Amino acid sequence: MLNFVVRRLLAILPVLLAVSLLTFLIASLLPGDLALVILGDQATPENVAALRRDMGLDQPLWWRYLSWLGHVLQGDLGRSFRTGQTVLQAVAERIPVSLQLMLMAEFIGLLIGVPVAIACAARAGGAFDRFMTGSAFAMLSMPSFLVAILLIYLFAVELHWLPATGYVPFTEEPLNNLRFFVLPALTLALAEWPGIMRVLRSDMIATLQEDYIALAKAKGLKPARILFVHALKPSSLTLVTVTGINIGRLLGGTLIVESIFALPGIGRLLVGAIYTRDLVILQGVVLLVACGFVIVNFIVDMLYAVLDPRIRHGHA
Amino acid sequence: MTTLAAKARKHAPIFLVAAFALLPLAGTAQAQKSGGSITVGQELDIPGFDPLKVGVYDTSTFTAAAAIFDTLTTLDDKGEAAPKLAVSWSHSDDYMTWTFKLREGVKFHDGTPFNAQAFKENFDRQKDPANKCRCAFYITNVKEVLAPDDTTIVYKLTDPSVNLPAVITIQSQNNAIHSPTAWKTKGDDYNRNPVGTGPYILKSWTAGDRMVLEKNPNYWDKGRPYLDRIILKPLPDAQSRFASLQSGEADIIWDDEADADNILKAQKDPKLTVHTYKGSGAAVYAFNTKVAPFDDVRVRQALVMAIDRPKMSQAISNGLSRPASNPYGDGSWVKCKDDGALPFDVEKAKALIKDYGKPVEFKMLVTATPRGRVVGQVLQQFWKRVGANMEIEQVDQATIPSRAFTRQFQMTPWRIVDLADPDPQMYANFRSGSPLALAGLSNPELDKLLDHARVTPDLGQRTEDYCAISRLINKEAIWFWTFQNTYYALSSARLKGFPKIYNGVIDVSRTWLE
Repeated sequence: MLNFVVRRLLAILPVLLAVSLLTFLIASLLPGDLALVILGDQATPENVAALRRDMGLDQPLWWRYLSWLGHVLQGDLGRSFRTGQTVLQAVAERIPVSLQLMLMAEFIGLLIGVPVAIACAARAGGAFDRFMTGSAFAMLSMPSFLVAILLIYLFAVELHWLPATGYVPFTEEPLNNLRFFVLPALTLALAEWPGIMRVLRSDMIATLQEDYIALAKAKGLKPARILFVHALKPSSLTLVTVTGINIGRLLGGTLIVESIFALPGIGRLLVGAIYTRDLVILQGVVLLVACGFVIVNFIVDMLYAVLDPRIRHGHA
Repeated sequence: MTTLAAKARKHAPIFLVAAFALLPLAGTAQAQKSGGSITVGQELDIPGFDPLKVGVYDTSTFTAAAAIFDTLTTLDDKGEAAPKLAVSWSHSDDYMTWTFKLREGVKFHDGTPFNAQAFKENFDRQKDPANKCRCAFYITNVKEVLAPDDTTIVYKLTDPSVNLPAVITIQSQNNAIHSPTAWKTKGDDYNRNPVGTGPYILKSWTAGDRMVLEKNPNYWDKGRPYLDRIILKPLPDAQSRFASLQSGEADIIWDDEADADNILKAQKDPKLTVHTYKGSGAAVYAFNTKVAPFDDVRVRQALVMAIDRPKMSQAISNGLSRPASNPYGDGSWVKCKDDGALPFDVEKAKALIKDYGKPVEFKMLVTATPRGRVVGQVLQQFWKRVGANMEIEQVDQATIPSRAFTRQFQMTPWRIVDLADPDPQMYANFRSGSPLALAGLSNPELDKLLDHARVTPDLGQRTEDYCAISRLINKEAIWFWTFQNTYYALSSARLKGFPKIYNGVIDVSRTWLE
């Protein structure tokens, strides 16, 4: 297993390097000049030239990349020219919110998706299965901003059960904190569960046709025990991958959901940075998020190996 | 400004308004109630308050600045300059020097006394070339500020300004007065820990979430403020911002015409109040007359004549936008019988383009926002109808000023903001040689009118000048105006005492809850 971990770790290094290069290029190749943006109304040609020199923008691209990478490796991702905050400070303030949102969304997604999948697989082709598969398809086609607005109108404006927008840290008011997260997490989860359900359902149907399930049935085991104990684990391999990939997709979802529900997470930070062309923050956040995604995938690979020993021995 | 005041100025160059200092700032018949807390839903995250860092305040920062800081002067309900930290003022005959007498006994929230020296330090810090502040651009007309004694400051201007006390009322990066002790001791952290003399003190600020302001118990204006606490929250999405108001999580929210449906909905809701302020200024567009095809007046006139403003208003804001035919707007004291507006005339426009003889193709900058796109597309359709092909070039908001200043555009959107006097913006936008004269047209007659309007105290005469300026610009079609500035705030009907939304500033520092 150790061998496998080391091999995988070595494999993600070039990926991280490529991520850093792409992130750097995105910010550098965007049309417009950072010096112009910073100077704004003061952008006389002399001022622009002076600032470009100060910031090293007149240097060749490869030199700027290496110098930036050098700083990044020392933990210096730069400082917003608008607020004076460092990227790490800004991200550190915001990341707990996004993590909580993603975890809650994934949790709710699994909470809906897994039981539905099991129920569907137990009677594949039945009325419930057909209805839920159709509903899943309908949910997948709903854009999250629409779902968010519908949820807000129903639960906040009409019923007054949950707040429409806002946030309090978990450490200050734990219960209130959860209330604020219900609607945003549900919005994301409603787009998550169909994927979870469909993957698990089809794997489960396949597993239920295996010989050992027939044996279990023949031995007279209760159907629930067969489903949850004997069929669920071997069927959840694809689900683990999907859950891992979902974390990346959820990050995309937070851009919209955090803006709608006014949650101060990194999605909002990123949208704000794009809006104000705060390239330092933009670059830093994209880099950290991309690295986070690579690391999550690494963890998924590890889990995979735990679930199916054939993988770590290179047989599958 | 009333004609009486203008007459008094003309006859007595030293016009003291000390008597105004005795009047309460917001004289109103309703009984104010103290106590309570409100939540304000804003459009944007506040980047901070240090002018050296943020450069220029945005609409969300204005609201906080109006509560934390004071300015020298304020605008009363009639739109005239009234005392705030300055109690009286006078000017020299040529309007190149303005002397302000300061209120005594005022202290910043950190205990630092507010005096002439503190004001001067604020000004010098912005002006110092070593600080490279973007904010310096807006005070280029001030040569220096002197502090001859503790309660007197003297503005020395490079150009005359007949209406300076009214112009410096906005709670902007240049006018908000900060505690020198605070920025010196806090350094980089000052940006997010502002200290002013205003009615509210910054209590806490969670990035991207909320800013809590608490009543300043030692505020110089006894009896004010009324609310114990103001919470400012960025709610970027217009739909959920409105939902927060409906569900009671916010008491007042910022809004604009892009969210027309909700404004119309709020107008019918008895639990809500729609605050509308029809300001001066307009949404405007500048042609770069140095490049083809806009170096030919026929093309410019044709494009202006092709615009059907009422139809455009319907398309972009459900009819809420008010068409503009000059740069001043209903909120301005400049009222023109004839502003020389070119009529909407598709046939004439077609004829002008045909007369030009060459294909009319150009790029127009628009902001990369849904609103910017829609405006671009609507104009594109109007112009296509008269035979001109416009290509939309979407750039983000922050890029537009820099592209405009470096003249890297054929046509760019711009805005003439709501100011108490047209002079600063008209002079900057149209006087030959100004870095802001985006059209790049030099017209001696226009220059003469602009020069005359800024040194003439008589309002009637100034009105005539500005109307002549409008006629000239409309005839030359170097800029055009689409819609007048209208500012909106939607609040719970319980919120009272909300003042006019001058320059789009949602100033809740004088409000109370019923």
